[in-house]
Amino acid sequence: MKHFLIIILSIITLNSINCQDYKFGEISKLELQEKYYPMDSAANAAILYRNENISFEFSQNNGFTQLKEIIMKIKIYNKEGLDWANEKIILYQGRSGNNISIKGIKGYTYNLEEGKIKKDKLKNEGIFTEKATNLYSISSFTLPNVKAGSIVEYRYVIRSPFIQIDDVELQFSIPVKKLDVNIFTPQFYNYKKLLNPKAFYTPSYIEKKIYKTISMTQRVSNNSPKSGVNQLGNGSTISKNKITYFDNKIVLSEENIPSLRAESFAGSINNYKAKLSLELEAKLSIEGYLEKSYATSWEKVAKTIYESPDFGGQLGDFSIYKDDLEAILAGVTDDFEKAFLVENFVKSRVKWNGSYGKYAQKGIRLAYKEHDGNVADINLMVVSMLRSQGVNANPVILSTRNNGTPLFPTREGFNYVICSVENDGEMLLIDATEQYSTNNVLPKRVLNWQGRLIENEKVSRWINMKPSKNSVESTMLNVTIDDDFTVSGKVVKHLTNYIAYSYRNKYASMTNEDHIKSLEKDKGAIEINELSIDNVKNATHPIKVSYEYELSDGIEEVGDKIYFSPMLFFATKENPFKLEERQYPIDFVIPYSEKYMVNIKLPEGYTVESLPNSEGLEFKDANVKFTYLIQQNGDFLQLKAQLDIVNPLILPKDYKDFKAFYSKIVEKQAEQIVLNKV
Amino acid sequence: MPQLKLTLVSFFLFVSVFSFSQSDDVYSAFLVPIELKEKANAVVRFQKQTVEILSLDKIKVTNKRITTVYNKSGKRHVNAVAYYDGTRDIQEMQALIYDEFGEEIKKVKKRDFVDVSAVSDFSIYEDDRVKYLDHIPLKYPYTVEYTSEIVYNSTAFFPNWYPIDGYYVGIQHSDYEIINTAGIELKTKKENFGNYNIKEISEYHFVADNIEGIKYEAYTPDFQNMIPHYKVALKKFEMVGVEGINNDWNDFGKWMYDELLTGTDFIPEETKSHVKQLTAGVDDKIERAKIVYKYMQDKTRYISIQVGIGGWKPMLANDVDKLGYADCKGLTNYTKALLEAVDVPSYYTLVYGGRSLRDIDSEFSSTQGNHAILCVPNEGGNIFLECTSQTNPFGFTAGFTDDRKVLLVKPEGGEIVHTKIYGADDSVQKTTANIQMDATGSFTADVSIETTGFQYSIHEGIEIKTERDQQLYYKDYWDNINNLTIDNIKIENNKDEVLYSENVKLSSVNYASKSGTRLIFQPNIFNKVTNIPPRYTSRKLEFKIDRAFKDTDEFIIQLPEGLKVEAMTDSKEVKTKFGSYKFKLEALEDNKLKYTRTYILLKGNYPKEDYKAFRTFRKQIVKHDKSKIILVKNL
Repeated sequence: MKHFLIIILSIITLNSINCQDYKFGEISKLELQEKYYPMDSAANAAILYRNENISFEFSQNNGFTQLKEIIMKIKIYNKEGLDWANEKIILYQGRSGNNISIKGIKGYTYNLEEGKIKKDKLKNEGIFTEKATNLYSISSFTLPNVKAGSIVEYRYVIRSPFIQIDDVELQFSIPVKKLDVNIFTPQFYNYKKLLNPKAFYTPSYIEKKIYKTISMTQRVSNNSPKSGVNQLGNGSTISKNKITYFDNKIVLSEENIPSLRAESFAGSINNYKAKLSLELEAKLSIEGYLEKSYATSWEKVAKTIYESPDFGGQLGDFSIYKDDLEAILAGVTDDFEKAFLVENFVKSRVKWNGSYGKYAQKGIRLAYKEHDGNVADINLMVVSMLRSQGVNANPVILSTRNNGTPLFPTREGFNYVICSVENDGEMLLIDATEQYSTNNVLPKRVLNWQGRLIENEKVSRWINMKPSKNSVESTMLNVTIDDDFTVSGKVVKHLTNYIAYSYRNKYASMTNEDHIKSLEKDKGAIEINELSIDNVKNATHPIKVSYEYELSDGIEEVGDKIYFSPMLFFATKENPFKLEERQYPIDFVIPYSEKYMVNIKLPEGYTVESLPNSEGLEFKDANVKFTYLIQQNGDFLQLKAQLDIVNPLILPKDYKDFKAFYSKIVEKQAEQIVLNKV
Repeated sequence: MPQLKLTLVSFFLFVSVFSFSQSDDVYSAFLVPIELKEKANAVVRFQKQTVEILSLDKIKVTNKRITTVYNKSGKRHVNAVAYYDGTRDIQEMQALIYDEFGEEIKKVKKRDFVDVSAVSDFSIYEDDRVKYLDHIPLKYPYTVEYTSEIVYNSTAFFPNWYPIDGYYVGIQHSDYEIINTAGIELKTKKENFGNYNIKEISEYHFVADNIEGIKYEAYTPDFQNMIPHYKVALKKFEMVGVEGINNDWNDFGKWMYDELLTGTDFIPEETKSHVKQLTAGVDDKIERAKIVYKYMQDKTRYISIQVGIGGWKPMLANDVDKLGYADCKGLTNYTKALLEAVDVPSYYTLVYGGRSLRDIDSEFSSTQGNHAILCVPNEGGNIFLECTSQTNPFGFTAGFTDDRKVLLVKPEGGEIVHTKIYGADDSVQKTTANIQMDATGSFTADVSIETTGFQYSIHEGIEIKTERDQQLYYKDYWDNINNLTIDNIKIENNKDEVLYSENVKLSSVNYASKSGTRLIFQPNIFNKVTNIPPRYTSRKLEFKIDRAFKDTDEFIIQLPEGLKVEAMTDSKEVKTKFGSYKFKLEALEDNKLKYTRTYILLKGNYPKEDYKAFRTFRKQIVKHDKSKIILVKNL
């Protein structure tokens, strides 16, 4: 017979939650007098000190509770920095009372008044809590009497019943003078740690073991468990034990962390933010035996995900779609044709609700019935349907562009799932959340790093998610010059793959009139007519766009000569790369080519005085190329200009060269043809 | 397989044809009159809104709205949304969703509406909540029938009738009726009814039929000023237990003063004596107001917290003094209290704040406005203070509260006045530059930009950017210059004069392009207009230029040694009723050129027929701003 044990643990922690050398409320006049941040004089505010302290508290009823204490001390240098005196904290409200809560909000504002430090306390009137939705509530507070020059200081503790630890942010949009992070995790939980390798700023940390003495009061009940609630002192014996266990402590202490600044063409800046991620790897028993392993290798991560009822559990046959599917696929034998039909069927049947996820939110049955679902509901449905038809279809889990690139095996590294179909050594990837995604042209959000294709619990492998297919925009421009120097002619464009995909998303549901207005924008004094577009909704074919134009300001007459750029309104007017240097790469996402064929009929009574020189430019082993070939052919001038982005990633070290290269392209396109009146 | 689809379609058609009773027509998207569908993202098929006045403090609004949605942008016009808080109670709400054939596909009950707090991004806290329908359509078109019954325990905000609730919405049938059970006297006003098909069934009962969607066009006046609006207010009302009289603005203003402002303006003696001390010996009251305004700006900050009587009662001045923050109402009221302490009278003022010009209706008193400012009466014209800005110059309103009717809340009653109009000479941008060009077409330049008035407000933010972002700003501002390097930036913000001065030293490689032996460049380097207003084959709406401005430019260009002008356009001038434009190029000594340019745009309201001429004016400017100078070797 088992003993009925009640263990009361009163843990005497050796480390206090406060950091040793920082005292809350200790503000110096010098700090208050400071007019700007010495390391970055443009900063509107600076975090003088931040402390993030994560630890776990044990109680009999709730087990371990995660406590996260935040201390912030912020200097506000000017009025633009005033917003740093407001804080909003989002608290997730889980099912069955598993809520994250906040307690102990304390805050002060410090000002220097007539040479003395004046302190104002944050009171209840400045603290607000509201239930924002069913999923989360918001706690916010705003500090009193904040003005340029103030220092605000606050602290609060977030209590969470979850073992998962949120990413620890180590960089902010303002500079940090000093940052301390201390994370104490009990020996029963193993976490894997990783600093964001893409960050421009990389701090370091050390790990220690901190032994704790727990004075444990063990009350052994002599009653049988069936007798109900135990009364204190009623038929039980008390024994006191001292148990020693350890916390794994992570100590990170940094000074002078630069602020995080966005750069254009780099994607989400959060991918480059310095942060520490912790992934729960394993649960250990009190004796140190492995109780439950979470993820230690990509195979295991894939396995764990596959075993979830919201993933693998969604991949079987479902009777709910059986009849509809059979009707659609009757007589179809080719696997890729089946895949194409199922993809389109799902697109027409179930709409994406905008949520990402590798796990089904509603489950396939409900999503099918209610006509909407998250990414996993939709794409796992495609896998399930195709598998039910004997097609070799598998889910591919991946990390979207704004989710970054996980470098160690982690379930949280994957936030999305698509479907793959293999046949005869060829692979087709399907994402049925977007109408115009088809034929291996996927939404740009999934074009990141690599995906993990999972065949079953045991077999999984990597596939490359970066697009290898080139996308082309080719433009034919015919130019006739009238007597009054109005230019007119015809434009015919062909767009393929990703360029066509973007065009469809932008224009497919636009009226002709709005489409024309959009085309006319930024093209000068132009009028566009006779617009026709082929295949804008048929995503399996390239798009063809054609229209007639009349341009009244494309040519300038000065003296008895006329001047114009042969690319007219298609010439790139400015170099979009304006920073002198970059910390993060430029990412064009996809390889592509832009081709122009311009055919200019010489106006009567004019001869060519000068033409731009033909030229070819290359950037870094032809990773990007530009060619410009112009020639006279009887009464016609012909230009072929082409830009090829072969490798869409430009590293920061190559940025200066690339910027100069791009400037030359812009210059070249601005060069003028000069015609002479005979 | 295709056969199956066909039978399915005909099955639905069959069913729908026979299930239609006459009033059921509105559930099928097929039966929308074609002209309503044309310029519409959504069509209101049927709406019946009944407002019942139950007592001085109770109104019940029952609403039935059937909307057919054609695309994503049309979704919001379903209007299946209701706000609630202590004073508004949603008694019933339901939505029924129909497919394009008019078959019901989903029923959404009150408890299935999404329920969230109404807090907006810019607010720290708001005490109201909102329930809305969250429906992801499988395909378009679809139709939603939304019914609701809401009881208001405050009659200050009377539900007005706006049959058209946005651009691109067609109206098939919309009905609005007031049932005055309590017999409280009403005041009403019909606005813009003339151009739309609206019938008066009886007093307080209107029907709008077959109104086509309105397409957005550039330079249209504020949407609110174009659409039909039936204004209604009670002559006697209650705002959360506070009774009010509203025969005219005088009454209403008096009520506001007595019930919402009085008693909120106490500030501690210490603060009073502090501002008195700051202004000691300053005789001029406007000078004293300036000192106090600066004191308030340095001491407080703006935070949006929406609580209290319908969001209308300001936070106590004493609390603002203690906490150092408030919203527009609290900060305005606090500034008023501070000014009182130094014997400067001022009036709490209600306004529609925003870039577009929207008036408080001088002929119809009711709860209007979305923002509060402070008016300091002054012989040379009222001065208006924006109390939510920590950086605004004293009395500066351009861009947000300028040129519109506002309500002054005076102790003796309300008064409507007009705020400052910034004319062309009040909003000037003066750009001067010295340019040294070399034989490769590269140049260095020293450029100065001075701005006032509305143009000041556009430039004002530059100084607070980081150096890197300032550089990016100027590279964007002069995006016509390739290979631009910013070498030095100096900015001076003279708030007393409301004069913003920027001085930028910069250089560009290969600005002039080469063509054979020639160098070609545009002398308007630093203030080029490139944007032509969009073209409409047949414009439908009148248009408006909200604000006048004037740009003057003077660039001295030192030409490279050994090169001379082969050809150039000496001058151009355009004069229209919309404004005027001219530039001139003159040769100076030592191979220098002087380029001068003036561009004035006037404020005005114009009929749609004038739009083409306005576009031509702008096209000419764009063209002339591209004028080139051709340089050749000096042989």
